[in-house]
Amino acid sequence: MQVTTKNDRSLWEVIGDYFRANSIWMKWYCTGCGAIEMPPTMTSRFDMEQLGMGPMATPRQADVLLITGYLSTKTLRRVIYSYEQMQDPKYVVGFGSCTLNGGIYYDSYATINQLDQYLPVDLYIAGCMPRPEAIMNSFATLIEMIKKGEARGWKHYQENYDWYKANQMDSLGEVIIHDEFHE
Amino acid sequence: MTNSTNNWIECLKKETGLEAKEGTASLQYVLDVDKQEAHQTLAYLKRAGFGQLSLLTCIDWIEQGTFQLIFILMHWELGHHLIVRALLDRENPEFTTITDIYPGAAYYEREVYEFFGVHFRGSAVYQKPLFLERWDDMPPLRKDFDPQAYSDGKFPKREHPHVFKANVVEVTE
Ligand code: SF4
Repeated sequence: MQVTTKNDRSLWEVIGDYFRANSIWMKWYCTGCGAIEMPPTMTSRFDMEQLGMGPMATPRQADVLLITGYLSTKTLRRVIYSYEQMQDPKYVVGFGSCTLNGGIYYDSYATINQLDQYLPVDLYIAGCMPRPEAIMNSFATLIEMIKKGEARGWKHYQENYDWYKANQMDSLGEVIIHDEFHE
Repeated sequence: MTNSTNNWIECLKKETGLEAKEGTASLQYVLDVDKQEAHQTLAYLKRAGFGQLSLLTCIDWIEQGTFQLIFILMHWELGHHLIVRALLDRENPEFTTITDIYPGAAYYEREVYEFFGVHFRGSAVYQKPLFLERWDDMPPLRKDFDPQAYSDGKFPKREHPHVFKANVVEVTE
């Protein structure tokens, strides 16, 4: 599905995007094996902070949500919870082939195959798993996209909320979590 | 040392007639039991020092038409692992709960029920969902479950516009 939102930012949004792009807080949801590439990216070897990015403890204060690998239906429910808690504007980055097309879990009974059916993905990083160089590269791309106003996934989510919700319902049945810890 | 090491093996043989065999790893033993006597054997083994249940899981031997329950027990003083195995009928898989012997088994029983559909009689909680949420098909680790078909029906796939083919080069002499 094509992102159809027009790029009509007000002057304040342009200014906001410019500053926002230089100070990004990210929340990484360590669902799959790809999460193991985050520590070298964040620490001194590749030093994500040179791009002005830092880790954030909670989704409510984060700008970027990283989905680092395969998502089981069970995890997807929690990820949707996290995404909905984040404040606009918010961006989603899909890590690795599992988020793109299912990767090696393409025939699993438990994992979804295509993340952008359920959440608006601004950027995918191909690879199984993507190396820190690729991650740094994609962060630089994401910053450019935010500056130019091209990372519009969150607007697309608002405008096509019904479509996303219908897809979530088709695969999950319901997003609300019922388990012994939430009851 | 040797004496105390083999103590439980001899006692087990004397008192129940069951013979524990050496396993493939060192300090590992294997014991095949009947479904009927599994429960009392486990109770006996716990008294004999196997205080820890490390794992309860199941294997689907679909060609033989059986499920095999696997209990891995650990003896903390001797460092022995004992694998107790029992066969169940695949059509009607039933077993008596062992939560009265090893209370922690409640979670394993829930898992085995969820993934293989084995019923644990006498347990109040074994049918409570543990891992799978809103599961709507046959237990997924049974060998006759088709994960590809389930995935195709449930999760949208990305269309690939290109089909990549290997370029086969024929070598002629
Ligand atoms: S893409 Fe590869 S590394 Fe990443 S979660 Fe999937 S299998 Fe693991």
